[in-house]
Amino acid sequence: MDVKHRVVITGYGAVTAYGVGAERLWAGVCSGQPAIGPFDLFDASRQRTRLAGVVPGAALRASDSPTDSRSDTFAVAAAAEALARADLILDSETDCGVFFGSSTGGMFEGEAFYDALPTAGPAAHRVLAHHQNNAPGDAVARRFGACGPLQTTSAACAAGAMALANAWFAIQEGEVEVALAGAADGLCQLTYAGFNALRAVDDRSCRPFRADRAGLSLGEGAGVLVLETQEHARRRGVTPRAVLSGVGSSCDAHHMTAPHPEGRGAVAALEEALAGAGLTAADIDFVNAHGTGTPLNDVAEWAALSRVLGARAGRVPVTSTKGSVGHLLGAAGAVEAIATIQCLERGMVHPTPGPGAPDPEAPVDLVRFEPRPCPDARHAVSINLAFGGANGAVLLSNWEE
Amino acid sequence: MRRVVLTGLGTIGPHGSGTEPLAAALRSGDAPLQSVEPCSLHGANSAGLALYQQGELTPWLAPRAARRLSPSSKYAVAAARQALQHAGVDDSGGAEQPRTSVRLGVSFGPSSVTESLLEQILRGNPQEASPMLFMESVANAPAGQVAMALDLRGPNAAIAQREAAGLLAFVGGVSDVTTGRCDRALVGAVDEVTSLTHGILDRFDALARPTEDLPEGARPFSGNRNGMLLSEGCTVIVLEDEESAKRRGAPILARVAAAVRANDPTAPASSWGRGGARLAKSLRRRLDAAGVDIASIDCVVSGAAGSVRGDRLEASTLRALWGEQPLPRVVAPKSVTGEYGGGFLAAAVLASGGAPVAPPKHFEVDPRLRIDLRDPRHEEASNPRRTLVSALAAGGAAAWIVLER
Repeated sequence: MDVKHRVVITGYGAVTAYGVGAERLWAGVCSGQPAIGPFDLFDASRQRTRLAGVVPGAALRASDSPTDSRSDTFAVAAAAEALARADLILDSETDCGVFFGSSTGGMFEGEAFYDALPTAGPAAHRVLAHHQNNAPGDAVARRFGACGPLQTTSAACAAGAMALANAWFAIQEGEVEVALAGAADGLCQLTYAGFNALRAVDDRSCRPFRADRAGLSLGEGAGVLVLETQEHARRRGVTPRAVLSGVGSSCDAHHMTAPHPEGRGAVAALEEALAGAGLTAADIDFVNAHGTGTPLNDVAEWAALSRVLGARAGRVPVTSTKGSVGHLLGAAGAVEAIATIQCLERGMVHPTPGPGAPDPEAPVDLVRFEPRPCPDARHAVSINLAFGGANGAVLLSNWEE
Repeated sequence: MRRVVLTGLGTIGPHGSGTEPLAAALRSGDAPLQSVEPCSLHGANSAGLALYQQGELTPWLAPRAARRLSPSSKYAVAAARQALQHAGVDDSGGAEQPRTSVRLGVSFGPSSVTESLLEQILRGNPQEASPMLFMESVANAPAGQVAMALDLRGPNAAIAQREAAGLLAFVGGVSDVTTGRCDRALVGAVDEVTSLTHGILDRFDALARPTEDLPEGARPFSGNRNGMLLSEGCTVIVLEDEESAKRRGAPILARVAAAVRANDPTAPASSWGRGGARLAKSLRRRLDAAGVDIASIDCVVSGAAGSVRGDRLEASTLRALWGEQPLPRVVAPKSVTGEYGGGFLAAAVLASGGAPVAPPKHFEVDPRLRIDLRDPRHEEASNPRRTLVSALAAGGAAAWIVLER
């Protein structure tokens, strides 16, 4: 397609197991200490594993709406931070879009309702108004008075990346000049037990790209970014923080939960993002991988990176934000895009925590132990692979006039 | 900019499989309601009927392949194959296929699977939860199953936006084709009915209930409306670039003249707001950008479903859009198709092609809305040139498309 607008990022906000705020996320991922541990959100003693990256309760301010789900609260908090960072106040004349992603919505609250059946009372019914996947995005649009397009994409673990892609295309097509793009997902028993049923959860903190990795760690949270045309940001007198240069999405059409072994869909998503950005693989300075830590994912992702990056595949620095905060499911793509932008802004790639020798079957140049300086990095890609074979890639660039 | 046309329509739902039984039902105004098995949420005064899928799936989906799929995934694969056959497309798949996206709107997703899984996890042993149920419980499972069944490798996702989900999926597919990102898009909506979903919606007073004088039924825009009908099924529409469609001699059902999205931030989480004027302003702005003159629209296929507040917002939006001008012919097929499951999308395509849509049974004009679905003037315009299709969701999301012959 013809790229008509440079889409810049002027603000971002994140809620993760490190707490509320993108600065907490950055300090956490750079610490090398994962925020994955025991939790009391629900009784994990009945589950096969016991760890997750749960948002600390004390970090959450009471929501405006007492019936908001945890996911709604994460989403609104992240959006408020993003808007503040972008110095943007929405007015009724601006058609600001809200492009969101969610995989579980208010399922945590839905479970409490289901558990209380058949005696659940009217108060329990009210929380169901927020249990659907669209609820976090709706809550953001309602809270900040957004009058433009409102759309929640549910594409499992690629939902956040696809939400960014949807916003990017809406801006390119001239539908909106400014949009909030992001995703939110709260931890719930359904996903916890479900991923355990797939034997996809490590009983230790996850160890992406290590030879002895044994699965992912689940997490929760939200990430929201303010996207706008460069012209819109300039008119507002705001200096962008980064550029969303290109986006890509695809489907493996291979298996409901396993990635294509050659990373077929991930390759297509990466190539689409590069083409949209007018860049080549040689321009990619580092990669924020999906990096779940499952045996199948990391090998498939290496295959995809090898195909796209060619001989550079083993030399391009790779990190996985999931190693620090766990797998945020639908929210992963949004939070990982924010972490990637923070790496570009600071000129250093955050490390991937966890012990273990590198996997010879997926020999990426994994950033470990401490942040790695990369002061000349200009472009980075963040990748997400999902149930249903969905894949998303977002290409982020340093802000340069 | 590429122009997008509709070349295929597949639908499976309460009226059966394919467009002919649906067209007949739209003409007669009959909704094939069936009793819902009550759950603990249903009370003495609850709604008791819903629209269950009645179509035969086996022509489209081998029983062996269907065995591990949720009802939603089965409906989606069947409707997608129907749509491609209607479009004259070989569905054997493969890397040589045009790049095709799949975008399916959902409201509740594969709820029967989710409920079974919750039962296992919360009331049983979570360590014995079924991995098969889990992988089918995600909202995008039906879209993913369509992609696998047909080897479609473009963007693939569910759009979760309640009553506007199907039309938003349509808008996303239009974008896929106009931008050249994809050669073709399969768009639509899918949902399934469970007793629990029915009971929950009933507790929110969302569903039509019988009264002393009237049977249970949806009466959009009517003064005696009191809720919607819950429905299930799937509709899939094939979108493609007009030039490509012409080159391959595809049947062209309609051309997309505009595709618009907006939000009403005055809406509460589970209902509709009062922002009709602002919605109309957003719609007008985008129609102007697409070069669509309001005066050229001679039919509205309204997403009004019989909801007291939802229909009020729909009416106020249409009134604000047309201003002092008289509204064109308005039809509201959800009295027949119910809400969710894609029947509305199929009805909209049929109506845009001239299929008659009967007014709801027991219709009486609501003096506050002033929309008369029995207006005899409308019979004169049964072959619309341009049709506005609308969908306003609880929670605020809105989508419209304009189809032209």
